[in-house]
Amino acid sequence: MKERAEYFLGGYLLIRLTGFSKERFLNLCMAKRLAVSRLEYQDGGCQFIMPVKDFRRVRPLVKKAGVRLRIMGRYGLPFFLYRNRKRKLSAAGAAVFFLILFVMSRFIWNIGLEGNYRLTDDMLLHYLDSMDIRYGMRKSLVDCDALEESIRSRYPEVVWISARVSGTRLLIRIRESNAAGEIPLKDETPRDLAADCAGRITRMIVRGGKALVGPGDEISPGDILVSGRIPVLNDSGEEVNALYVRADADIWVKTEETYAAEVPFLTSQRTRTGAVRRGIRIRLPGLGFLLMLPAGKEENWEISCVSRQAVILGDFYLPVWTDRLTACQYSLSQRPWTREELETIKNLIHERKMQNFTEKGVQIIENDVKMIEKDGAWEVQGRFVLERPAGIGQNIRQEEETRLPDERN
Amino acid sequence: MLEQVKQAAADSLKLPKDVVCGEPLLSFVGRCSVTIENYRGILVYDDSTIRLQAKHGRILICGKRLHIDYYTHEEMRITGQIQSLEFES
Repeated sequence: MKERAEYFLGGYLLIRLTGFSKERFLNLCMAKRLAVSRLEYQDGGCQFIMPVKDFRRVRPLVKKAGVRLRIMGRYGLPFFLYRNRKRKLSAAGAAVFFLILFVMSRFIWNIGLEGNYRLTDDMLLHYLDSMDIRYGMRKSLVDCDALEESIRSRYPEVVWISARVSGTRLLIRIRESNAAGEIPLKDETPRDLAADCAGRITRMIVRGGKALVGPGDEISPGDILVSGRIPVLNDSGEEVNALYVRADADIWVKTEETYAAEVPFLTSQRTRTGAVRRGIRIRLPGLGFLLMLPAGKEENWEISCVSRQAVILGDFYLPVWTDRLTACQYSLSQRPWTREELETIKNLIHERKMQNFTEKGVQIIENDVKMIEKDGAWEVQGRFVLERPAGIGQNIRQEEETRLPDERN
Repeated sequence: MLEQVKQAAADSLKLPKDVVCGEPLLSFVGRCSVTIENYRGILVYDDSTIRLQAKHGRILICGKRLHIDYYTHEEMRITGQIQSLEFES
C-alpha cells in the first residue's frame, strides 16, 4: 500500500526494454537499487514499470548494458496534473469538495451508544438533546468530561461511562449496574381489601385486618372482603376504640368468564405480481431526493427500505443518508376462510386468552371454545372457569378514635 | 573448508542455513507464485524460462507466462504457471 502510494505520488513510467543483454541491465538495476517491478516478457523484449526518480539514474546503466529503453506510458499524480493543467473548473471542484469535507469534519454527525440495556437509546438521546448535544453541533462544543459526569448523576444505575469524539462521531460507552434497585419501603397506610370481580370464594388466608367474608361466600365487585378497621371491644362487648391497619390477604375466587371475538367471513390475501421497482433516496438535513420510477395510481406496492449513513474511514460520518428502496407490486383478492384456517384461528384466539390468564397467575379449571356463524361473520365464543386472586386495596378514611369513657368521671 | 565449517556451525547451533550459508530460500504458493530469497542475479529471462544465479549453483524455473512481479537485491517474486524448478550445479 505504501509502495503503491509512493509510485502514484511520485509518478511512474511503463518502459519497454530491448537489446541483446537485457538480463545484464536488470542485474545492474538491482545492484544500483533501482526499483523495477511488473516485469513481463513481450515479443523479444521486456516491459516493466519504474518510478520517475529511479528512471533519472538509469542512463549510465543503459549505456553500459547496450540496451534501449522506450517509454510506453506515464502514470501517477505529476503526469495527471500536467495532463489536466487546463481543467481549472475540475480542480476548483475538487478543492471545494475537500473544503466541504473539512468543514463537515468540524461537526458531530453521528452519536453512537454502546452497552446500554435498561436505558434505551431514545432515553439517552432525549437526555443528550436536553443538554444541547445533538447531531450537527460543533465538535469543539462537546465537553466529554462534563457529559460523563452529567449522565452519571442523572442515571445512578450507570456505574461506568466513557464519552469520546472520534472523527465526526460522538461515542458513548456505558456499563450499567447489575445489582437490583433499592428495596421499596413497605407501605403501611391503612386500607381495606375490596373485591374486583364477582364469584365464589374458594379459599382465603388473612394476614392483616378483619375478614368480612369466608370461603363459600358469593362476592360481587366493590364488596369489602377484609376490613382494615379492627374494633376494640370492652368487657361488655361494646366498641370503645378502633385500630386501623393495612388489610392483607390472599383470597381466591372461583369465577366464570366468557368472551367473543369476531372473525370476518372473508380474508383478503396479498399476491405478489412479481413486478419489482428499485430506487435510491438520498437524504440531507432538510432535503431529500428520490430516484425511483413513478408507479401507477391504481397499483398496490409494498415498499421496504434499507437506510445507511454515509461514512468515510470508520468514524468519519457525513450528514448524508442513503435509503435503498425496494417496491414489490401486489394484488388484493378476497376469499372465504378454509375449515382448517378457521380451526387454527379459533385455537389461536383461545390460546392467547389462556396465556393472558396464565401470565396473571390465574388458574384455569375449565375451558371450552366454539365458533359460530353470526351476522355474516364468524364469532369465536369461549368460556373459562377460573380460580383467580381477588382483592384490591382501597384506602380507608380514619374516623376519630372512640375513646373509652373515663371510669373516674 | 569455510563452507563446511559454516554448515557444521549452523547444524550444531541450529541456525537457519539460508542466513549462515547464503543458501537460496524458495517459498511456493501453489504453482502460480514463488518467492526466491538469497539469489545473486538474473542469467536468463523470457516468458517460459527464468534462470537465476545463486551462491552455490543455478536455479532454473520453467513454465508459461512467467512474470517477475518485483525484484530487489534480497528477493524476487515470480508469478505465472510454474511447471518445474531445477537446481543446476
